[in-house]
Amino acid sequence: MNAGPYSDKKVQEYLQAEFIPVKSQCFWDKRTDAMKRFIVSWTPTLIVLDAQGKEHHRIVGFVPTDDFMANLKLGKGKEFFDRFRFADANKAFRALIEQHPNAGVVPEAVFYTGVTDYWSSHDPKGLRRAYDTLTARFPQSEWARRAEPYGQIPL
Amino acid sequence: MGDIKWETDLQAALALAEKSHKPVYLDFWFDG
Repeated sequence: MNAGPYSDKKVQEYLQAEFIPVKSQCFWDKRTDAMKRFIVSWTPTLIVLDAQGKEHHRIVGFVPTDDFMANLKLGKGKEFFDRFRFADANKAFRALIEQHPNAGVVPEAVFYTGVTDYWSSHDPKGLRRAYDTLTARFPQSEWARRAEPYGQIPL
Repeated sequence: MGDIKWETDLQAALALAEKSHKPVYLDFWFDG
């Protein structure tokens, strides 16, 4: 199969350089152990795991190339985040926002830049800046609502 | 599969991930 995002040279290079890529075929009439383990009910289901097999990010359904690349970077950032590597996570989220400004996951990445700014500095202004960016650029997003409490933080 | 070198054995991929300090990208696909 060489269709969709996988046919893009940049995607190929990024996946190969930054991840261990694995394909697992699904059979609906006889669910595989991997399908049961990760509770896969639709395809494509794309998951970012750490080396212990813990899930950090999941995409269900087709995504076009730019969104796909952004999701890979979000997954990488979330894997760092869940391991308390906040500076590395922040770098991954910021790269995503800069390189894929129109991707659907940008509001989530903005939210997490605020959180990782906070964890790196213990200065809550990063949270407020995330709130300001979300309400200005993505006022309808769920992530703007999640950031609402940070609107009270003084700059 | 283009230029992507896909693993098909998840346990082997996890061992590679441990060794290389990279996350695993797992694609569940259906040929239908």
